[in-house]
Amino acid sequence: MEKAVALNKSKPTRKIVMDIIIYAILIAISAVILIPLFWMISTALKSNADIFKWPPEWIPNPPHWENIANAWNAMPFNKFLQNSLFIVVLGVTAEVISETIVAYGFARYDFPGKNIIFILLLSTMMLPAHVTLIPTYIIWNKIGLIGEFDPLVLRAWTAWGPFYIFLMRQFFMGIPKELDDAADIDGASLPRKFFQIMLPQIKPILAAISVFAFRGYFNEFQGPLIYLSDKEKYTMTLGMYFFMGGVNEAPKWNYLMVIALIIALPSIVLYFAAQKYFIEGITFTGLKD
Amino acid sequence: MDRFWGTFSRWLIVPVALLVLAIALYFLMRLFRLRKDQATGIALISPWLFGFLGFTAFPIFYSLYLSFTDYSLFGKENWVGLSNFIKLFTKDIEFWPSVRITLLYAILTLPIGVFGSLLVALLINREIKGIKIFRTIFYLTAILPDSAVAIIWRQLFNGESGLINFFLSLFGVNKIDWFGNPQFVLPAFVIISVWGIFGTNTIIFLAALKDVPRNLYEAAEIDGATTFNKFRHITIPQISSVILVQVVMSLIGSLQMFTVAQFLRPTTQAGIFMNQLVYTRGFTQLHMGEASAIAWILFVIILVLTLAVFKSSPAWVHYETEVKNAR
Repeated sequence: MEKAVALNKSKPTRKIVMDIIIYAILIAISAVILIPLFWMISTALKSNADIFKWPPEWIPNPPHWENIANAWNAMPFNKFLQNSLFIVVLGVTAEVISETIVAYGFARYDFPGKNIIFILLLSTMMLPAHVTLIPTYIIWNKIGLIGEFDPLVLRAWTAWGPFYIFLMRQFFMGIPKELDDAADIDGASLPRKFFQIMLPQIKPILAAISVFAFRGYFNEFQGPLIYLSDKEKYTMTLGMYFFMGGVNEAPKWNYLMVIALIIALPSIVLYFAAQKYFIEGITFTGLKD
Repeated sequence: MDRFWGTFSRWLIVPVALLVLAIALYFLMRLFRLRKDQATGIALISPWLFGFLGFTAFPIFYSLYLSFTDYSLFGKENWVGLSNFIKLFTKDIEFWPSVRITLLYAILTLPIGVFGSLLVALLINREIKGIKIFRTIFYLTAILPDSAVAIIWRQLFNGESGLINFFLSLFGVNKIDWFGNPQFVLPAFVIISVWGIFGTNTIIFLAALKDVPRNLYEAAEIDGATTFNKFRHITIPQISSVILVQVVMSLIGSLQMFTVAQFLRPTTQAGIFMNQLVYTRGFTQLHMGEASAIAWILFVIILVLTLAVFKSSPAWVHYETEVKNAR
């Protein structure tokens, strides 16, 4: 008991010391995170000569704003951006629609083998993508669509995001079944039930998944690298990859940073606009069930 | 805009085809005397089922088959038995270095990524002034695209004008060629991964920490438990299932390293990951049989390590007996 009292007495000073230590650590980590980002912006606005200054210059003097336009015009990035957006719109739309339907089936209907199939679905989350990479390529080659956008978006219709299905199923299961039953009594058809009763309920999770899927399609690299060969069809990320130049070639750092910033921009904007969904989504990835 | 029409029209046809297939499956199931609701359920999940059979189940076994052939995309493949594997294990000068860096990278990033971010989550799990700003900053690394992250670090590690060499030079260290020197390429990759991993893992751990019932801590405080004791006997057991998921996911993720490495372009052979080898062998040299063999070796490595983690989990994961209600 005495000990507890003694601890209580010294608490204010102890707490202040603790707070100072914690703030110091937080600020140190923030610096480690922010310095590379600051350096990215700084490099983007430097002249070629300033980049190689030693010791390095922190703030570009003067800032070369023309780098932005020059970098953008160094390759047909206009086209690449259109391609990326095309892939994003088609992929996200198909994925969200098909996954909602599949998740609804898993959440609301019973059928033989359902549990085994669902476990199978979950286990595909742990399947490394590269095991199926080569046969998948061969399939698309047989169909004759290598070099087209098709391999990057068509499969989205088959609900290829097991994790999103899982998320959505959890969400559907949280919606009271009485809503369904009432609709059944009214004799509502399956599509009507789905669109009028379920859809309004699941808007938040649809938003979260769309945000995530957007980011996934926009930043996807391996798929475009393998399937797209025509420069006309490059995505932003693939364009940046080839913009780096050859293995032993020094890239144009300032321009490259401009492009990297532009590629990061949608993710950053989405993050601040939909921070809640983003964090909810990431949190679900480590789901406790 | 012409380049979009073909894909767009096929993109419109696929769901129609899937719908027709789903309806056909529904009536087929009805023929097998399934109830209406059972058949409806199967029809609803059928898009996933078709995708799984065609683009997951079949390719897994097909790539296993290919690993025993000399398939090269053109012409017919020949069965070559174990020769792809024997060549990789005995003659290939690129194979073992890639296994080495892939494994070392995963083993080194795992504890730093998981336990480092747990410590950070503990730090920001207190309601002090300005904590929201810190959280926002920490989460930033989670949302940046891999490609952009790689570009930033390629510049920072750059031998000639990179910031990291500059900092080191303040301590009298000579310029290091991080991605050209076999000794330094692994530490460089580990540093990058740790920087990128903090955001995602920290968010997940923070959410888990917030789920630990407060009354457990209060009870322990009454018993006079120290901060460390509370952490050891309440926090760790309560979030151990989240730690397990994180360990497994980080392991699988880091063993599959590709995008960041591809953008960093190490010039030393010691810096080429297995997945990159799959890509160069399969898609630039078109040795698809050999690439399939490498892919399968990596798959087995991932499988064995994941199973080992799961096998060890009863020893350290504390499963709750109470059933948590879904939200």
